[in-house]
Amino acid sequence: MSEQNLKVDVTDLIKDYGNNHVLKGLNLQVKNNEVVCMIGPSGSGKSTFLRCLNKLEDPTAGQIVIDGHDISNKNTNMNHVREKIGMVFQHFNLFPNLTVLENITLAPIELKKMTKQKAEATAHDLLKNVGLDEKANAYPASLSGGQEQRVAIARALEMQPDIMLFDEPTSALDPEMVGDVLDVMKNLAKQGMTMIVVTHEMGFAKEVADRVVFMADGHIMEEGRPADLFDHPKNPRTQDFLRKVLNA
Amino acid sequence: MRKRLLCLGTVLLACLSFFTFFSTKTQAAEKTYTIGTDITYAPFDFQDSNGHYTGIDIDLIKAIAKEEGFKVKLKPVGFNAAVQAVEANQMDGVIAGMTITNARKQQFDFSDPYYYAGEVMAVKQGSSIKSLEDLRGKKVALKVGTLGASYANSIKKKYGFTTTEFDQSNDMYNDVTSGNSAAAFEDYPVMAYGIRNGMKMKIVTKPKAGGSYGFAVKKGENQELLTKFNTGLSHLKKNGQYDKIVAKYLGKSAQAKEKKAATSNDGLLSLVKQNKSSLLSGLGQTLYLTFISIILATILGVIVGLMQVMPVKWVNWLSSIIIYIFRGMPLLVLALFIYIGVPNLTGSKISAFVAGIITLTLNEGAYTAAFVSGGIKAVDPGQMEAARSLGLPYGKAMRRVILPQGVKIMVPSFINQFIITLKDTSILSVIGILELTQTGKIIIARNLQGFKVWTIIAIMYIVIITLLTWLSKFVERRIND
Repeated sequence: MSEQNLKVDVTDLIKDYGNNHVLKGLNLQVKNNEVVCMIGPSGSGKSTFLRCLNKLEDPTAGQIVIDGHDISNKNTNMNHVREKIGMVFQHFNLFPNLTVLENITLAPIELKKMTKQKAEATAHDLLKNVGLDEKANAYPASLSGGQEQRVAIARALEMQPDIMLFDEPTSALDPEMVGDVLDVMKNLAKQGMTMIVVTHEMGFAKEVADRVVFMADGHIMEEGRPADLFDHPKNPRTQDFLRKVLNA
Repeated sequence: MRKRLLCLGTVLLACLSFFTFFSTKTQAAEKTYTIGTDITYAPFDFQDSNGHYTGIDIDLIKAIAKEEGFKVKLKPVGFNAAVQAVEANQMDGVIAGMTITNARKQQFDFSDPYYYAGEVMAVKQGSSIKSLEDLRGKKVALKVGTLGASYANSIKKKYGFTTTEFDQSNDMYNDVTSGNSAAAFEDYPVMAYGIRNGMKMKIVTKPKAGGSYGFAVKKGENQELLTKFNTGLSHLKKNGQYDKIVAKYLGKSAQAKEKKAATSNDGLLSLVKQNKSSLLSGLGQTLYLTFISIILATILGVIVGLMQVMPVKWVNWLSSIIIYIFRGMPLLVLALFIYIGVPNLTGSKISAFVAGIITLTLNEGAYTAAFVSGGIKAVDPGQMEAARSLGLPYGKAMRRVILPQGVKIMVPSFINQFIITLKDTSILSVIGILELTQTGKIIIARNLQGFKVWTIIAIMYIVIITLLTWLSKFVERRIND
C-alpha cells in the first residue's frame, strides 16, 4: 500500500477530556475509494474519533494525516483541509436561516471556490441526485428528517470533497426515512467516494463497507472485511456486541 | 484569527479615539472662564420664566466679568455638580450661594465674601411650631451640603429632632408643605424669596449662625481669576452696582414681578405652554443622548459580546471583565466617576454631555454584550460545527450562519435595552446635563409646582417610550420576515 494512496492515516490517537480517556491510542489507515464503517456500543469513542479527523475535536496526542496534510501540526490551515472533508451529522445541522439552495451554495460562494451560477448549477445537479430538486427554494424547517439529511449530504458534496465522514447519519431519522438516506450513501460509495461511516446500520455496513471497524472503550478491538467480522468475529467483545444488535 | 483580533483591536481603538476626540485639554481658551452655578437656588441661581438663568450670583459674575474684562461661560449644572466639576478641573470656578467654611477651604480658595446670609427655620403656614424647642421628636428637611443643613445637624441633639436631606431646594420645601417634615432650615434670603413667590411657608426664627457666600476656585488654581473677582467686587460695591443687583431680587419691587409666575393654580396645559421651549429642548437633549448612546452601546455591546464567545481564552476573559465592571456599577456612580473622577486622574476635561454618552455606552453596552453573547450561545453548537466543517473560517461562519440566527433571539432584548437606555438618560441629570428630568427640576425650582411638572415630564417620557417601542416592533417585524 503506497503512501500516496492513503487518504487517512491515524497514528496513536489519544483524546482525553480531563480524566475521562475517550480515545486510548487509535491507529487506522483508510485508502482511496475505501468505505470504512465503524461500529460499536454507545460511548465507545466512534463519534469522537470521527470528529478528530476534521478537528471538530482537538486530539490530545497522536498524529492524523489527511490527504497528505498533517492536521495534528498547528501550522496546517484547517480551513483548507476541511474543504476537502465532507461531514454529515446525526442531526443534519442545516442552516435554518437559509434555503436549501443557499445551504448548499453558501460555502463555495463565500470561499470563492465557484461563481454563484456554477455553484447553483452544481447544487441543482446534486439535489436531483438525492431526489430533492423541487425543494431547492424551501427552508429546512419545511423538510422531513430524511429530506434534511439528504440535503446535508448534497451540501457536503458541493465542496467536491475527497473524503466523506458520516456521524450516525440515520440515527435521528424515523425508520421509513432511513432507506432513502442509505440509498444516497450507497450510490456515493459506488461512485468511488472515500467514506468513513459511524453507524448502527449493520445491514448497510455488511453490504457497502470494504472494511468494518469495531470500537469499544476507546480502542479499536477488531477490524476486517464485513463477511469476516460479522460472521466470524474473533474478539469476545465483538461477539457480544454483534449478538446483541443482530438479535434485537 | 490573528487578523480578526487585529480588526477588533482597531475598532476598539477607534472607539477610544472617538471619546478622546471630545475630551479637550484644559486651558484651551485664554480669557474665557467656565463657571459653574446652581440652578435651583433662587434668588441667587435660578431660571426665569423665559428659560434664562438669572439671580444675584449670575448678575454678579457677569457684572464683574464686564468690569474686569474677561468672559464667562456659565454652566448651570446644580450645586453639587458645579462644586465637583471645579474640584475635577472641569470648570474654573463656582458661584452658587456657596458658604465659606473651614472645611471647604481645604479644597477651595474663596474670594472675599459677597453676601452674608443667616440661617432661618421655616414651617408650613398654619403650623403650630414656633421655635426650635417645638421640634423635639419631629423630622426636619434639609438640603445636602448647605450651611442650613450643618447648622441644623449641629443643634439636632440639643433640640431632639431628626433630619432628612434632599438634593433640591424644592423637594425640601415640598416635604415641609406636604407635612412630612415639620420644618426646613435655609439661608434667609433664599427662604424669604421662596415665600414671597408663593411658597406656603413662614419663617419663625431670626437669622442665626450665618455664613458668608464666596466665589470659589480649586485650591491653588486660577488665582488670577480670584483676584479679578475680588477687584471687580470691590468696584461694584463702590459704584453702587452691587446694591442694585441685590435689590433687583430682594428689594420690594422684585416680589410683585416674580410672584405672577409662581401662582400654584396653573393648569397642566398652561404650564406646558409657559415652559414649552425648555421642555422641548430638554426632550431634544434626551432623544439626542438616547440616540447616540443606543448606537454606541450597540456597537460596543456587539463587539464585547462577540469577544465573549470567541474561541480565544484571554479575549473571553477581557470581555467578562468589561461586562462585570460596567454591569456591576450603578449608573449614577459610573456617571459621577467618569465626569468627576476621570478628569482628576487624567487632567483632561470632558463635557458633561460626552461623559454622559460614555457612561451610557459603557453601562448599556455591558448589558447588550451580555445578551448578545447569550443569543449567540443559544444557537445550536451544531450550526458552528457544520459551518466550520465546510471550510468556512470562524468569522464567515459567525457572520453568515450564527449571527443571523442569534440576532433573532436577541431582538426583544435589544428593544428592551433601547427603552432602558432612554429611561437611564434621566440619571444623567446628576452631572448637570439639561435633559428632560433636569429640565423638570429647573422648572420646579422656579415655579414650585412639583406635582404638576413631574406629571408633564412623566407623560412626555411615556409618549416617547411608546414611540420607540412602536419603531422597534416595526424593525423586529422587518427582521423576522
